[in-house]
Amino acid sequence: MSIEHAVEMRGISKRFGTVQALNGVDLELRRGELLGLVGDNAAGKSTLMKTLYGSVIPDAGEIFIEGQKAALRNPRDAQALGLAMIYQDLAVFNNLDVAANVFTGREYTRRVLGITFLDKKRMYNESEALLSRLRINISSPKLLVERMSGGQRQMVAVARAIGFDATILIMDEPTAALGVKEANTLLDLMSELRDQGISIILITHRISDVLSIGDRVMVLKGGERQGVLNVEDSTLEDVEYLIVRGRPDGSG
Amino acid sequence: MTANQTPPTRVESARARVRELMAPRESGVFLALVIFFVVMYTVSPIFRRPFNLTTILRQISVTSIVAMGQTLVIVSGAFDLSQGSIAGLAAMVTAKLWKNAGLDPPIAIIGGLGVGVLCGFLNGVLAARFRLHPIVMTLATGAVFLGVNFYITRGESIIGLPDGLTWLGKGLIGPVPALIVLMFIVAFLMHILLTRTLFGLRVRMIGGNLKASQDVGMNVERIRVGIFTLSGFLSALGGIVLLGRVGNALPQIGQGLLFPVVTAAIVGGTLLTGGVGSMAGTLIGAAIMGIARNSLVVLQLNIYLQDIVQGMLVVVALLIDQFRRGELNWRIILGRDR
Ligand SMILES: Nc1ncnc2c1ncn2[C@@H]1O[C@H](COP(=O)(O)OP(=O)(O)OP(=O)(O)O)[C@@H](O)[C@H]1O
Ligand SMILES: [Mg+2]
Repeated sequence: MSIEHAVEMRGISKRFGTVQALNGVDLELRRGELLGLVGDNAAGKSTLMKTLYGSVIPDAGEIFIEGQKAALRNPRDAQALGLAMIYQDLAVFNNLDVAANVFTGREYTRRVLGITFLDKKRMYNESEALLSRLRINISSPKLLVERMSGGQRQMVAVARAIGFDATILIMDEPTAALGVKEANTLLDLMSELRDQGISIILITHRISDVLSIGDRVMVLKGGERQGVLNVEDSTLEDVEYLIVRGRPDGSG
Repeated sequence: MTANQTPPTRVESARARVRELMAPRESGVFLALVIFFVVMYTVSPIFRRPFNLTTILRQISVTSIVAMGQTLVIVSGAFDLSQGSIAGLAAMVTAKLWKNAGLDPPIAIIGGLGVGVLCGFLNGVLAARFRLHPIVMTLATGAVFLGVNFYITRGESIIGLPDGLTWLGKGLIGPVPALIVLMFIVAFLMHILLTRTLFGLRVRMIGGNLKASQDVGMNVERIRVGIFTLSGFLSALGGIVLLGRVGNALPQIGQGLLFPVVTAAIVGGTLLTGGVGSMAGTLIGAAIMGIARNSLVVLQLNIYLQDIVQGMLVVVALLIDQFRRGELNWRIILGRDR
């Protein structure tokens, strides 16, 4: 067990009925790196990340976070260990404003006469500070998320995760529904966060994204790990070959 | 926001208050209310008599009080169709506690409110713990509450209620009818609850995105129970106020309540899909309904138009709602879409 790893997963397996979604998968996320997780549809990417986030309990395998063995029974456990996962669709409350979204689950409150009142002013101030620290371009924390673009919503979700002091960020296809410009802004934010010391796992079908901002890329196929490539010495073709054909020699 | 360095003036912050209270959703209905009011005020001398205006407020007060509870429920993404039956049961229990158990009116009222709380709690548990669909479930519990009401009263009215039981519906606070004061107090408190408290935020969260609320790890069950319990309480309060409005305790009290209540919430801009709605909006919705009804009277139109007008207002409100959410546009209506 090496301390340089923010996350280490060993031999993770998960079966859904007749589908073996994951079969003895290993994963190492180095501290402060951006690891791409790629593979075809149904390769098991989301399921693997859900086991790391405690929302799917694996049938077998072990998970270490910052060198400590972790027993993750639900996302709360994972969050307590500094993890945050951002799903594409469930990330935000569209009917609430930015600040309410950033502070979801850890609202500032004041108790008066036994009633818990929201400390809105403090939440507005702090979310404004957080947005500017992350260089997120949202003009006011009072904006309703429903009026925002898909990219801005993702950023609100990221701000929320970072506001929770997350040190390990998992993003499941965050750019899938975004236009080129918005996707690029979000990718910029991810490199910025990585440079601030956050370890990131990015699931995506856009391999070129990983190759442009990532450090390493891990390929899954049929619930099995096909290999991990260094972005520096890999080409798009190398990654695509692994995704489609799997590992050349049939071993790890 | 960086340009805004000078502290806001009084007028500015007052404006911000108003804006917050009247989010864009409400401003539309508010405008409708103002126009409606001004038109009626101009055309009808009877309408603008202070007595008539007070009458409108008295007429909408019970609807509004109960509708505040319904708004909370709808914002959370559910419905409470048992409100009318809870109102009736609570009213009758209150009257019976006074008549048959010989309790003092205030104690009897507390007993009646307690019945409402209990009914609401039961709804909440069925919705939250047993995960029953709120619409059908409250329809069913509503039938049960109504049945219990008629069972214990054998369908008989209780007449000759003491002042203590009718004061909420009939009494005055200075020159102002007590029930109007009560309506505004309930509206104010419910507004604070929905917009300023953690509970209110949770309600909006469950209604806006249930899955995400669960992921956050909030206690959705407890919040649901709280919502339905409060709805039951306000229904009971409405029922007890009705005792005074009607003058006698009739078992069928509250039976006509549900439709105007839901209408007030919908006309007031509460999104049926949950997550969005305000107490100010619901109050405005109730006022529009009240003026509509009153107009028929003062313009000496056939009062039976009331149901037609009310029904049509709901349809219009639903249409506006669909437009706002982008579910509907002229292309679809004209059949040009697919
Ligand atoms: N809750 C579940 N119940 C049953 N089967 C599931 C469940 N979750 C995932 N699976 C199955 O497990 C396999 C892996 O799914 P997973 O969602 O992890 O794939 P993925 O790599 O994220 O694919 P995509 O790129 O399409 O998102 C699929 O065959 C899927 O149908
Ligand atoms: Mg997936």
